[in-house]
Amino acid sequence: MFRRRLTALACSISALGLLVAGCGSSSSGGSPAAQKQTGQVTFWSFVKGSDQVAAAFNQTHPGIKVTFQTVPSGQEYYSKLENAVKAGTAPDVAVVEFPQLPEFATQGMLENLDSTLGPVVQSDFPDSVRQLVDLGGHTWGVPRDVAPLMLYYRNDFFAAHKIAVPKTWDEYQTMTQQVKAADPMARGGVLFTDNPGLLTALAWQAGAQWFGTKGDAWQVSLDDAASTKVADYWGDLAQHDLVSSLTTLDPFWTSVQQNRTVAYVCASWCAGSQQATVPDQTGKWSVAPVPTWDGKPASAMYGGSSFVIPKGAKDSAAAAEFIKWITTDPAGMKAWVASGTSSMFPADPQLVPVTKAAFQTGYFGGQDIYAVGSSSYDAVVPGWTWGPVMGTTNTAIVDQISNVAGGGVQLSAIFADAQQATVKDIEHRGMKVAP
Amino acid sequence: MSEPTTLSAPASAPARERNSAGKLDRRPAPTTRKQPSALLSKTAVTAILALAALYTLLPMLWLIMSSTKSRQDLFATNGFAPGHGFALFSNLSHLFTTDNGIYLRWIINTVLYAGLGALLATVFSVAAGYAFDKLAFPAKEKIFALVLIGVMVPATAMAIPLYLIAAKVGLVNTYWGVFIPGLVFPFGVYLARVFSAAYVPDEVLEAARLDGAGEFKAFLRIAFPMLGPAFVTIFLFQFTQIWNSFFLPLVMLSDQKLYPVNLGLYDWYSSALSQGHPEDYLLAVVGSLVSVAPLIILFLMLQRYWKAGMTAGAVK
Repeated sequence: MFRRRLTALACSISALGLLVAGCGSSSSGGSPAAQKQTGQVTFWSFVKGSDQVAAAFNQTHPGIKVTFQTVPSGQEYYSKLENAVKAGTAPDVAVVEFPQLPEFATQGMLENLDSTLGPVVQSDFPDSVRQLVDLGGHTWGVPRDVAPLMLYYRNDFFAAHKIAVPKTWDEYQTMTQQVKAADPMARGGVLFTDNPGLLTALAWQAGAQWFGTKGDAWQVSLDDAASTKVADYWGDLAQHDLVSSLTTLDPFWTSVQQNRTVAYVCASWCAGSQQATVPDQTGKWSVAPVPTWDGKPASAMYGGSSFVIPKGAKDSAAAAEFIKWITTDPAGMKAWVASGTSSMFPADPQLVPVTKAAFQTGYFGGQDIYAVGSSSYDAVVPGWTWGPVMGTTNTAIVDQISNVAGGGVQLSAIFADAQQATVKDIEHRGMKVAP
Repeated sequence: MSEPTTLSAPASAPARERNSAGKLDRRPAPTTRKQPSALLSKTAVTAILALAALYTLLPMLWLIMSSTKSRQDLFATNGFAPGHGFALFSNLSHLFTTDNGIYLRWIINTVLYAGLGALLATVFSVAAGYAFDKLAFPAKEKIFALVLIGVMVPATAMAIPLYLIAAKVGLVNTYWGVFIPGLVFPFGVYLARVFSAAYVPDEVLEAARLDGAGEFKAFLRIAFPMLGPAFVTIFLFQFTQIWNSFFLPLVMLSDQKLYPVNLGLYDWYSSALSQGHPEDYLLAVVGSLVSVAPLIILFLMLQRYWKAGMTAGAVK
């Protein structure tokens, strides 16, 4: 008892440093997880298809009983998970999106997966996504899906007005002008005002590195040259009313339905949302590679999720077995997309044929959107790391973003403010920030 | 039983008397004065009230209009105008059949959490408030100060401590985890004390005691009926509070079958569009409209008592 308490103490002290060093999973000891055949797993997720994947697992693994519980998505979910870990009532498996993973890992809320799922993560995933779950030399989660950027556009509108599909951001700006000239109500892009994820991805694509680690300190650079370039570009588009400023919820979808948004940059998963939300525009949409600054392929991710074992899980061995199946097993991946409406892009490149076969491409006129996704995934700029206080960073950006279009504030100034808020919060939580 | 007019406060009467030149019984309405300043202030007040009414009613209008639309129309037509078709009934049947009728279960849960919880909380509050007002016991005012501190602490701030306690005693993800915290309502105790001072004259209680009634009987038979408006007021306060409480059920419950309706709707709403199942978005819209109905019915039913209670408390 005393020794355990001492270990816990040591762990929480090291958590004050940069990253937690291997606390938690050591207790399980003994046989590796893969051989465990019985157990009870509680599973929290908001991801589409989670119920089906749990049911499919239960059918094929009679020894392990997975109980799925739906949770809401967004910041509310993460506070719920955080409190559950604190209270010792955490589930055995939980979904955590990539941006939030470092926050949970640095606070010592996740089990270290080095001895269970670490080898799978090392062998199955490309570096660009492995770097999102490997922090401080340890593996904290297993990627399920990634979200490479793509350009969505109305092929009928582009053809009717002889607008070329842009390959560079310069051409993209020209395209937005052509769209507005062709139809004063229509716009060729969106600046999302309630979610900084896309903007962050565009900075990432331009070569920004918002976060990094140096020794035991965090490096934060939301205001580097690449980010400022992206901020000025999008701020300029918004202020000249060449892209609309909308929230990602019904205002955006209303604009699509009413033909006011005829092109937008989004991730792979938007294909599924697009066809489910605006079904009567079947055949009118196509996808293209996301424009780049220099014309050479470059991409980034807007979204994506991983699965973790929270600290305090009752059956980590069975949990690891379950995670392995739902992230890297073809049968597991098939269960996720059983509905045929999800355009989820698997993080494990070997599983792309599984999801591709399940997705009905009729909406996109039979276009092979997974091919576009694959080349985008290959082009994801490696080396990106999410920060340890993304809630704070995101809030700082979102709070002001709706004032950009009116000229009330420059987007680059918002990034500078977010930089300060982030640094302050990292220090506030007792972690170091490199100068 | 107590009409607001009989309670007119003596302190304000002389002032009014002087203003209206001795005509005490005739209340001067601003319109009869024909003074530009009065007219101006009346216009201003009306304008502000109209704005406030719009502020409250416009979202309701959007909700009603959107509930009658099909999924196509929801995004294709103006939010405050009717859609091309009238899909309210198919939306409703979809709402009550989705996931084996889980929505109805959420409504029943909420009625149990809020209805039963508020009822018990009100009984406790009225009894405690009465005790604070009429009975003498050691450290009374100190304990009452504790109650007032409870009023100051917002319910949201209590959610996490309550959750940690519930985890210790094994109430997480159970009905009791949300129900029991709803039984405590410090503001209700405070209100009940004020009401008790206003509605229950000490003389009546003395008479009851002289006639041989014990303390409990005096409360139950004499004081409690006199505190009717207090009961309704406190009940409505706590009912709305539990009905609207979000964060506590969010952290406390993981089993959808135990959810109150607002949490269930949030579940549908939060992932509907990002996860690409927009039908859940429409469900959340229609579900919101249906979940407002019980509150409106309750307020209309209890309005008489509620109004009497509010004015009486205000003048005292």
